[in-house]
Amino acid sequence: MMSSNSANVNKSKGLIIVISAILTIIPFFALIDIPFYNRTNPELGGLPFFYWYQILWLFVAAALFATAGIIYNRYGGE
Amino acid sequence: MLQIDGTAAFTILFAVFLILGFYGRYWRKGDLSKLDEWALGGRRFGAFIVWFLVGADLYTAYTFIAIPSSVFSIGAIYFFAVPYVAVTFGIAMWAMPKLWKVSKKEGHVTGADFVRKHFNSRSLAILVALVGIVAELPYIALQIVGMLSVMFVMLYGLGSIKLVSDLALILSFIILAIFTYFSGLRGATLTAIFKDAIILFTVALVIIVAVVNIGFTKSFQSLPVKYYHLLPLQVNAYWSLFLMSALALYLYPHAITGSLSAKDPKSLRISQSLLPLYGVGLALLALFGILAYGSSSTHAFLIQIPAASRGTYVVPALIFYTLPSWLTGVAFLGIFIGGLVPASIMAISQSNLLTRNIIKEIKPNLTSKGESLVAKVGTIIFLFIALGFVFLFPLSYSVQLQLLGGILILQTLPSVFLGLITNKLNKYGLMAGLIVGIGYGLYLMEVANHFKPWTTTLITMPPFNYPLFIGFIALLANLVVVLIISLIALPFSKKNTVTEN
Repeated sequence: MMSSNSANVNKSKGLIIVISAILTIIPFFALIDIPFYNRTNPELGGLPFFYWYQILWLFVAAALFATAGIIYNRYGGE
Repeated sequence: MLQIDGTAAFTILFAVFLILGFYGRYWRKGDLSKLDEWALGGRRFGAFIVWFLVGADLYTAYTFIAIPSSVFSIGAIYFFAVPYVAVTFGIAMWAMPKLWKVSKKEGHVTGADFVRKHFNSRSLAILVALVGIVAELPYIALQIVGMLSVMFVMLYGLGSIKLVSDLALILSFIILAIFTYFSGLRGATLTAIFKDAIILFTVALVIIVAVVNIGFTKSFQSLPVKYYHLLPLQVNAYWSLFLMSALALYLYPHAITGSLSAKDPKSLRISQSLLPLYGVGLALLALFGILAYGSSSTHAFLIQIPAASRGTYVVPALIFYTLPSWLTGVAFLGIFIGGLVPASIMAISQSNLLTRNIIKEIKPNLTSKGESLVAKVGTIIFLFIALGFVFLFPLSYSVQLQLLGGILILQTLPSVFLGLITNKLNKYGLMAGLIVGIGYGLYLMEVANHFKPWTTTLITMPPFNYPLFIGFIALLANLVVVLIISLIALPFSKKNTVTEN
């Protein structure tokens, strides 16, 4: 199966994998950097930064993961 | 105590729930005497249904009871559940479609099926299956704690509270056992959608009412620093808890079952990628643990209860004192079946492991009808073993039940996840690593709790001079053993690995 793919397709497939991987890994970096968000200010409606920053990342993570998934499903294969 | 309209709302919706559970038997009808059909819903659920089905595992008593309870009594560190659900689906969206493809091709139903074939080892598969079964037990027990806490608040003040809530609990469990027996995963899926619709609705409602009426500023006012953010010493505990939980979730048999019921790897990937959105409800529920301090009536109710088990009632009490009676009934039903449905899904996956990976290894000539029967009976037995767990563990440490399961299930990571990536690992190394990981993990639990009842899963030990999640340390020990034995065995097992895959 692999041999029937042209070099060009393999190259763009590689690019798709790299892009999907980067999109997937971003939330990990955002959340593993605990010292960055481990603070009270700025508060949002009385809620410390520590809490709303992480809630915000639930939305961002879903958006990034879904983008990665759609790109990969469409161009990267199964 | 809940008023008559609240009780009526609870009862009517519980009836609807039961009808859905039994109707599930006829939904997208298949031959339920086959294990694939009964346990995987025939492998044909689309992205949306799988999203709900796997998401249903998120909205469990872990979310309603364990996390808010711990935020309430310990502080910001138990918000780790939020980054945990934010990142776990980033792992799942790549790992699970891969497992799906192998499983479809080889006819696997469980993670242990995959291990057996991939490493060509019956013993390793049996070991992985056993760990899966045992790790689910405390998780199911946590669901029961959740149901118990709703019943408690509902019937509070009605004479002998212990007797009433125990009776209600046992009755619900018999109902659950009966419908799980007849419906399999189909029943659980329909009820999962019903349950989550109720829960999302009531969580949103309570948050809006509580934030408008109480507000975070007032709730945080009297609280110490550890509620605003982590203390410096807790930073490492935080990442070890959320990363290990993220790795553990998809090793649980019930999460694997849910993923394998997808109709194709692409819709599975999309459903996983969108699951962090499901975590928003979890985050809001965790904040109930803070808002409970701002609501004076909730606080007045809670301080009547001994501090050791107080946290368990945070969410039911805040709902009770925030919403009108009939809506409280609706919300309580959501939490109640929020324990029942996951318990059902978990017990189904346990018995999949029991039949396919343990009983069939001993009695290989089992017919598919016999296999299905053993699975169904096994489900009921596991539900009752878990019920027993509740009476053995103190209520207040309910989150530790789930984390204990996490320590155990994490030890199957090298066999399942690393097995998906490489076939260079040695099966004896994996077995040794698994046993070392579990033994060491349980030993550290004893040390961390000074050989008393288990109330923490964190430990401070050299070379680390700060608390870390025991699951992380046990997994490190496991991986070291796996790698050393695999490296030693590599030159001898070349032939073996070539025939694989």
